[in-house]
Parts: sequence; structure tokens; C-alpha cells
Amino acid sequence: MVATTNTGKQLAKMKIGSKGHVSHFTDNCMACKLLSMGILPGTLIEVVRAAPFGGGCYIKADNLLIALRKSEACSIVIR
Amino acid sequence: MKPALSPDPEPKIALIGNPNCGKTSIFNQLTGLQQKVGNFPGVTVDKKTGTLELPGGTRAMLIDLPGAYSFYPTSKDEKLVVQSLVQPGNENYPDAIVYIADVTKLEKHLLLFSQLKDLGIPVLLALNMADVAEQEGLEYDLEKLGRKLGAPTLLVSGRTGEGLGQLKQMMVDLLAQIPTVNVPLDSTQYRLAPEEAKLITQIQGEFPGYTPYQLVLLAHHIKWLPFLTPAQKIVIEQAINNTGFQDLQLQVYETMQRYDQFTPIVQQARDRDSAQSASFTERLDDLLTNRFLGPVVFFGLMLMIFHALFTWAELPMNFIEDTFGGLNTFLQTNLPKHWLTDLLTEGIVTGLSGVVVFVPQIAILFFLISLLEEVGYMARAAFMFDRIMQFFGLNGRSVVALISGGACAIPAIMSTRTISNWKERLITILVTPFISCSARIPVYTVLIGFVVPPTKVGYVSLQALAFMGLYLLGIAAALLAALVFKLILRTNETSYLMLELPEYRLPVMRNVWLTVWEKVKTFTFEAGRIILIISMVLWLMSSFGPPGAIKQAEEMARHSAQLKNLDETATQDLIDAQVMEASFAGQLGKFIEPAIRPLGFDWKIGIALITSFAAREVFVATMATIYSIGHQDDEYSIREKMAKQRDPITKELIYSPATSLSLLLFYVFAMQCMSTIAVVKRETKSWKWPLIQFAFMTGLAYLSSWLAYMWLS
Repeated sequence: MVATTNTGKQLAKMKIGSKGHVSHFTDNCMACKLLSMGILPGTLIEVVRAAPFGGGCYIKADNLLIALRKSEACSIVIR
Repeated sequence: MKPALSPDPEPKIALIGNPNCGKTSIFNQLTGLQQKVGNFPGVTVDKKTGTLELPGGTRAMLIDLPGAYSFYPTSKDEKLVVQSLVQPGNENYPDAIVYIADVTKLEKHLLLFSQLKDLGIPVLLALNMADVAEQEGLEYDLEKLGRKLGAPTLLVSGRTGEGLGQLKQMMVDLLAQIPTVNVPLDSTQYRLAPEEAKLITQIQGEFPGYTPYQLVLLAHHIKWLPFLTPAQKIVIEQAINNTGFQDLQLQVYETMQRYDQFTPIVQQARDRDSAQSASFTERLDDLLTNRFLGPVVFFGLMLMIFHALFTWAELPMNFIEDTFGGLNTFLQTNLPKHWLTDLLTEGIVTGLSGVVVFVPQIAILFFLISLLEEVGYMARAAFMFDRIMQFFGLNGRSVVALISGGACAIPAIMSTRTISNWKERLITILVTPFISCSARIPVYTVLIGFVVPPTKVGYVSLQALAFMGLYLLGIAAALLAALVFKLILRTNETSYLMLELPEYRLPVMRNVWLTVWEKVKTFTFEAGRIILIISMVLWLMSSFGPPGAIKQAEEMARHSAQLKNLDETATQDLIDAQVMEASFAGQLGKFIEPAIRPLGFDWKIGIALITSFAAREVFVATMATIYSIGHQDDEYSIREKMAKQRDPITKELIYSPATSLSLLLFYVFAMQCMSTIAVVKRETKSWKWPLIQFAFMTGLAYLSSWLAYMWLS
């Protein structure tokens, strides 16, 4: 859910290959979409690789592979 | 037990599920060649339906709704699902729902199922990918799962066909169930928030027959649901203000509540989890989506597709041309000499040949593109090129449209529906027709030889390079036009990529063949009909003229031939040319000649340009019709006939490099396809965009042809 605490780290700033659990989302609109795809608070996310030509990233959430833009990855906070 | 008689003679069953759940495979398994692709009224989403014979003799109509993640849509496809399901009495409102979920991702795929449960429509849960689950050792207690989720549950496989017999049997039972209308407020799958409960009690009087959750959805989607009357909107708006109903917050609340409800059920019913290891997909993606190698592989694949398009199609195309040529010779020698025979051979058979000859190329292109889609590669392409596409004001998903545009702009434009941002979608629609579609291939093939000699540089033929150059020119035009539109158009809608990358799977060939079959059928019967009619009209127009004009032209030609002392063949050529000029077609061509003279086109090319507006491929058929009148022997291909054409007065070659290049450029850029214009009008819901598109594409074509002709002549 959307929380106001500032602990945690934006997914977009995580290193390639690192993992972490979703803490919360910073944007309600993005949150709705991410939730409906199955990315919930507590979901384990791994940053698999960066996109060619920069910008986005390829993540693994549980057993789901998802492509995100940078702005989308920024709205996810990892604890 | 026979199912209860529904008021509808054919009960409707909707297939619903998340994107990538394998719904299409199951739909194809159940309906095969019995399926029809139509349109949902008012919107332009493809509506796939098929008739299904159920055990016991009942027939049902199966509707394949687009894939959706939840009832909170962002794309046009997803909106349609909501629209069909929130309004009891809607013409797509199903009598029963078959929900398809990927069994290997059950926890992610049950959100929409949980929402569907609250509609009161009888629903069953089909767990797809049974074959994959078995391989991975994944097992569920189906009885327990079904009991706790409150829906009959079974395992199926769209790939192997496993469980489909049982599915049909269960559909019969499902249709016998009566939809629940009066759902008490406390029996929804999640606990309603106080605002939601209050809102429901305030508006339910206005909407008899709606379930509580449907009323909540009306409030969430009040802005775009098309069927709400102004009076109904006022009632809902008042209730929203009275209760403090917060759209986004309540969406998040509801979604979380639903996950909390079904996640433990799924976990408890799972007998054995799949063995987790770095999957085949992830290892393959190490290469295919690699920052550096990924794009290289992509361009390699595209190159292979074009190579296949030309090399594989050559043999069948030659065979088709030879067969029709042979048929024509046979008819001409065996039928009495009469203008009806000429209409049959020079109008109908020549026109038919012009249709059928493209079937191999279209089939091969759609085969390869749907193969890439089916194995899951297209989503990777969208991911890799999203950043670049964004630079041009497009979306990563636009890559799929642009590539499909290489086959035909019409399905490509329809595939943009998955782009949720209107501006990105509109730009994709506007620039896609610049990509050289398969209809331009024959025009390029015929004309390129007049510009570039058939020599080789190393292993590569110059003509092949020129061919690629024309394609690149189209791509460059598309991207530059996109950039211009990006700067002109304004929007404040959010744009998303957020794309699921499905596991790589071996393609289900049934799906691929069905796509190829459907596209070839559409081309042959829809485009083919137009081409055939135009060929016949053209033949009639070029054989007949105003009363007396043809006879007069013939006599004039004979007279001047005698004066010049021409031999028999030359006399006949002169007669044919003058007769053609005097005919209706000639006069029409003459009428537009002043406008196209600066581009180096004569009135015969003018006729071809006019008829090409029906469809570009008509160009070749037009040339065939026009020039087969000039020469009686059908052994020559159209190209060879055109190469011999000379101006009757100056004796210069008509298809000089300058004119041919100018004509090629015209075909690269110009919007010459009625069907595309119709589709763009349908997709953008106005005449404004197709007209703008027609103007800038044709304007660019005229300008570049004019410059090229000036430069070369």
C-alpha cells in the first residue's frame, strides 16, 4: 500500500542482480497497475538486467518476468 | 438432464483470463476453423466468436474476450472486458464464464477471477498449462481449491488438448446454473469498504439487476462507461460526493483485500511446488535481451525474415504465374474470338492471377511474424526498443505494430490497441503505413530493375540492396514523421510500458496456421474482390470508349501506318496504342496527366495511380491489363512488356531510370490504400486523422518524386 515512510530504496536505484522485498509504492496510479499484475508489498523482486539503449529494466517478481520503464521502477520501494 | 432453456437460443460463454494465460490456444482448440472474427459494436476491438457443440447436443456461442489483468483497465482491450461485464443485458453479457488461469502462476492470475465471482455469473476455473505443471512437478488439490474458491475447477492444456472433453461437460453443467442477482452486501469476495457499502445502498435503486460489485465498478468507471445515461451519472456522482468514495485508494484497498483472501487458499491447496531453478527462458534471455547482443539478434532475425520472404516465395509465385499464363493461352486458343473471351482472359484471369500471386508472400510473412509472437519474442522486442521508441514519441509496443506493418498496415494498426497512452497510440497509427507493406513488394519488384542493373557487388546483388534501401526509406520516414507528431501533439495522460515477458514456449502450430489461414483468407476474399472488380472495370474502360472514338482512332492509326510504310507488327502496336488512348481509361489518364507530368508519369501510369488507391498491388494487375492489350503473346511477363514500352512519338523508353525511381518513391511514401484509411477512421473515430495522414503521406510522395525526377532527368 502507499505509505509515507522514507525507509527503503527505489527499485530503479538497485544494482543489477540484487534482490529485495517490495515495501510500498510511491504512486497510487502505478500501484494499481503493478498490484493487478501481481507485484504486491512483500513480493520478492530481482533486478535481472538493464534494457539496451538505457532506460528500463528487466525484473523478476516471484516467477513473473516483467519489463519496466525507469519511471515505473522508481515507484517501487524495496525494503 | 437437459440444461434449463435460456431465453437466448444460443447461450453465450465468455473466455476470460490474464494476458499470456493461453486463452487463444484453448479457444482455437475448442472452435478450430469454426471461428469468426468480427467487431464489438461501437468499439473496434476484434471480437472472436465460435460455435461450440456441447455434449447433449446443446450449441453455445463462445466469445474470446481480450486478455485483462483486472477490472481497472488502462488499455482499450481491457476496457472492453469491463464494458461487456458490468452491464447486465449488454449484448456481450455472457450466460456463463470460463476463466482461464496459468496454473504455474496461479497466485498472480486469480485477481480477475475473484472480481468475476462478484458478478453473479456462473463461472468455472480452468487451470491451463497442465503439461508444463506436470513437467515441473507442480500439483494442486483441485477439489479443495475449487471448494474454497467456490467454482468448479479442472486442469486443461491448450497445447495438448488435455481436459477439453471434461471442460465441455462442465460447461453444460455451468449453463444449467442460474445467475445470482440478489447478492447480499456481505457476501462479496472481499470485505466492502464502508464508503463502498454506503455508495451501493444509495444507487442500487437506480440499477435493478446489478450486483453490489457491479455498482462499485460503475462508480469507478463513471468517466468512460458509454451506456450510462446523464440521469444515472448524476445519481452516481452524488453518491460519490456523499460517501467520500476515493477512486484510486479504493482500487488499491480492494485489490489488496482480494489477494489476502485467495493467496492462503492457493498455498493450502498446493500439494507440491515446482522445482525452482534458473529457467530456460531466463538463460535464453541472457542472450536475446542482452544490452549489446539483443538488438544484434533482433536485426539478424528481421534480415532472415526478409530473406525468407523472397527466396521461399519465388518458386510458388513462378508456379502461379505460369499456371495462369497457361490457362490464358488455353482459353484464347479454344474459345471463339469475341469480346467476352477477351474480358475473361485479359480482365478476369489476369486480375485473378494478380491476386493469387501474392498469397505465398503474405502467408510466409504472417507465418514468421505469428511464430515470433507465439514463442514470446515480440514482448522482448518491445522491451528492448522502448527507450528509442519513446524518443520518437512512440511506445515499446509500437515495435510490434511497425514490424507487422511490413506485412500489412491493417492488422498492424489494429494491434496498437494494447498501447494505453492515446498520443503514443495515435502516432503509431499515423506512421505505420510508411513501413513498406507486402502490397508494395510487387511494385518494387517490377520497377527496381528499371533503375538498378542486375549486377552483383561481391555476394550481394545491387537490386537486393536497392530493395533494402526502399524499406529503410520507409522506416526513416515513419520515425521522422513520428518525431514531428511528438512535437505537435499534446497530452497529459500517463504512458506505461509495464510489460509481462512470457516464458519462451515451443509454438503451438495450430495457432500459427490459424492466423496464416485467417490472413490469407481475408486478403484473397476482401482485397482480392476489389482487385478483381477493378481489373474487370479497367479492361472494360480500356477496351471501350465514347461512340465512334475507337473506330476513328483505329482508322487514323492504319492510315498513318500506311503513310510511314510500317510492317505488320508495328502497325498493330500503333493501332493498340491509339485505341487505348481513345478509350475511357485513356481519357481519364489524360485528364490527370498535367498533375503528374512533373513527376515523369504519363497517362498510363496515371491510370495505375488511380486504381492503386483501391490497393497498391492493383498496380501490377493494372499494368498487366493495360499492356496485355498492346501485345498478344502472354509468354512475356509484365516486366518484360513494360521494358519494351516506348513513347509512340519520341520513341524514348517510358520506364527510364528517372521515371521509375520517381514512381518507386511515390509508392514508398504515398497513402494509397482505401482499407487502411477506413481502418484508421475506425480506430481514431474521426475523419480528421485519416485525412491528415493522407495529406502528409501523399504530399511527401509527390515532393520526393518530383525532386528525384528533376535530379535524374
